Amino acid sequence: MIQFERFTLENGLRVIFHKDITTPLAVVNTLYDVGARDEDENKTGFAHLFEHLMFGGSVNIPDFDAPLQNAGGESNAFTSNDITNYYDIIPAQNIETALWLESDRMLSLAFTDKSLETQRSVVMEEFKQRYLNQPYGDVWLELRPLAYEVHPYKWATIGKELKHIEDATMDDVKSFFHKHYCPSNAILCIAGNFDVETIKTLTEKWFGNIPSGIKPARLLPQEPKQTSKKEKTIERNVPSDAFYFAFKMPERKSVEYYVVDVLSDALGRDKSSRLYTKIQKEQKLVTEINAYISGSLDNGLLVIEGKLSEGKTFEEVESAIWDVLTEIKNKELSNEELHRLKNKIRTAKEFQEQGLLNRTMNLCYFELLGDANGINEEAILYEEIQAEHIQAVANEILQENNCTLLKVKAI
Amino acid sequence: MIDRTLQPPLSPITKINFVEPTIIPINPFAKMYWMRAVLDETTRIEFHFNAGSIRGNEKLAGSVNNLIFSGTPSKTSTQIHEELDGLGAFIDQELGQEVAIISLYCLRKNAKAAVALVIDSIQNVCFHEQEVADTIREKKQQYLISSEKVNILARREFQKQLFANSPNYARQIVLKDYDAITVEGLQKFHQEFYLKGLLKVVLVGNMEEEFVNFLQNNVSPLATQTIPEYEKQFINNKGVFHVEKDEAVQTAIRIGMPLFNKTHPDFIDFQIVQTILGDYFGSRLMSNIREDKGYTYGIGSGLSEANKTGYFIIATEVGKEFVSATLHEIKVEIERLQNELIEEEELTLVKNYMLGQLLKHADGPNAMMDLFMSVQLQGLGFEFYADFIQRVNTITANELKQIAKNYLSWESLTIITAGSSN
Repeated sequence: MIQFERFTLENGLRVIFHKDITTPLAVVNTLYDVGARDEDENKTGFAHLFEHLMFGGSVNIPDFDAPLQNAGGESNAFTSNDITNYYDIIPAQNIETALWLESDRMLSLAFTDKSLETQRSVVMEEFKQRYLNQPYGDVWLELRPLAYEVHPYKWATIGKELKHIEDATMDDVKSFFHKHYCPSNAILCIAGNFDVETIKTLTEKWFGNIPSGIKPARLLPQEPKQTSKKEKTIERNVPSDAFYFAFKMPERKSVEYYVVDVLSDALGRDKSSRLYTKIQKEQKLVTEINAYISGSLDNGLLVIEGKLSEGKTFEEVESAIWDVLTEIKNKELSNEELHRLKNKIRTAKEFQEQGLLNRTMNLCYFELLGDANGINEEAILYEEIQAEHIQAVANEILQENNCTLLKVKAI
Repeated sequence: MIDRTLQPPLSPITKINFVEPTIIPINPFAKMYWMRAVLDETTRIEFHFNAGSIRGNEKLAGSVNNLIFSGTPSKTSTQIHEELDGLGAFIDQELGQEVAIISLYCLRKNAKAAVALVIDSIQNVCFHEQEVADTIREKKQQYLISSEKVNILARREFQKQLFANSPNYARQIVLKDYDAITVEGLQKFHQEFYLKGLLKVVLVGNMEEEFVNFLQNNVSPLATQTIPEYEKQFINNKGVFHVEKDEAVQTAIRIGMPLFNKTHPDFIDFQIVQTILGDYFGSRLMSNIREDKGYTYGIGSGLSEANKTGYFIIATEVGKEFVSATLHEIKVEIERLQNELIEEEELTLVKNYMLGQLLKHADGPNAMMDLFMSVQLQGLGFEFYADFIQRVNTITANELKQIAKNYLSWESLTIITAGSSN
């Protein structure tokens, strides 16, 4: 059970405090309710580029990192299709430096041309390092627009193309900040060995006078229900053929989300999973196979990916995979299999919650979902899942007309 | 109104609480290190074997490591994995040059059953022909994929040139090595380096004494070797070496030289110098090559330690058009450390940052255990960190400049570039 307290400042900033008496450190985590899905289709990659600019100095403080490092701390951030998340880890006695820095960049950025120029180049190198210069590195740049036709999940957080990053202007940057970076669009979580009163005083002192801003309305185009199978083959200079089956799945807030998570584990998480034992181990059609979910807030994807063994064809693998899917649709999981899946989830959760940073980030994320206490309720949701729920969900989503298939043909 | 231009007052880190693990002799050949102060239900157990990639005359260490859970005379690999998963246990197999580590992560209540299963799997793995064929097929595929990555190509070449005097450290597996693997060869390696080669057991968990005794008794037969031999000093091939990779849009750069580990009197001083140079986000290499020039997504340096020695490394991936400019800037930054005194402000920042990092690396039982094992590797104890804190607090700009001059000679470096030269 993760204990926390929660309060809201007058400007609308939601604050969560998680007390941990065992640590000499403090974590300050700030989640902004903005991700790549909030971008203009002609200016993609912006939420992520902006995350880089948040380290380029704020209105009253020329450099973000140096004062934090001088206080013995460090920081980092990440951007997803849904959120942008910043964190600082710092010796507890110097927590005020983290609050000073985070509040100033929530207030306003320095917006220097130099910072924009440099981060544009850095992000372009990141684009190359992660997506262009890796075998199979651009698969998600291809899979997203195939799976999604209208929803902004059709582009990756890094952006659709390098050109969008190249073309970003200072005006774009400023308007993005003013629209999304304000107390009413943020959730702050502070963890460490403090009293809640101290945290109230400190957050009021540093964040209390930041203008509230208006939480931007989110009206995203909703992906229509898929009605037929989509398929595409791309040719790449890679060592072996690869395949990516993507099935649309329910949104994060639905109960079925957890059921699909367990379903994907049953299919392909571990070496006792169905796809691994049948298709890799028994039939030797692949040298690698996994199933996982994309974990997004809006309707996400259950993905089955793998690489073909030498001399095997896409047709052989596809038919073998559908056999496995048909079986899980037709017959309930045994108690033993369900027990295995739940035990792994329990262990994983216990280890994840060991880390102070993980707890702090997750509290923010569950608060975004509607209630920070979701972090404690999640375990019960997994426990309550029965074989019949998994079978029902399998029948709902593992359908050919709900499937997007991307094949990478090695040349 | 608060003045937002002023940083709030800082308090220095004055004290770090180090918690020693309990050290339990398993038998005369191996010890167990136990951190009991865990407040949750998790258990982490590591088995360290003298089965790293330097061992044996053939390049078998990786394949044996991958095959550890591939089945015994009484259980198939799938049965073993079903049982492990049924216990909610996670397994990790890690291969280094000097050590192979099998790690088990599970909940306390399942630890005994999981340990029994892991030890049975390790002890009785029978290298069934079909399992061996499957693993080799998968490893060949992984090898081909990794060979498409410039960072991997650079790393392989770096090891060849850096450990030039020590064939078993320098050797790299190539595709045709997989075709030469035989069941007999794997069995022999397993007998020599796993069945006799347990070096230590690391346990982090709030366990009962009875469990610890059980663990001790069960692993004892695997520890029958005296201390293995390790390389004491690497000698590198100096200069620039290029690995061509067609059509790569970025080039991986690895720069380094043989150095030392924590037992050397200049270790801490050098650690401070290389932190300033490249071992944190605000380092000179990051500030110059990423934050000023934008040549890369990231660049960093580090000191890598082995049992008896160590080496220094700088690593980055840069746009292929920026390779020579990047090498030039790295040289400039090294020379600045040798020729200019570091400013007080930067020195204070690095000192504070390094102590903050130490505090972070001592937070929680798992981090504390890792911190302890990193000094234990060279026969030291937590007193090393008392020296570290003292030295970080007192070192001067002049001393740092001298250290940079003594060790960071450009001519001594091995420089690898892997990418497209067109």
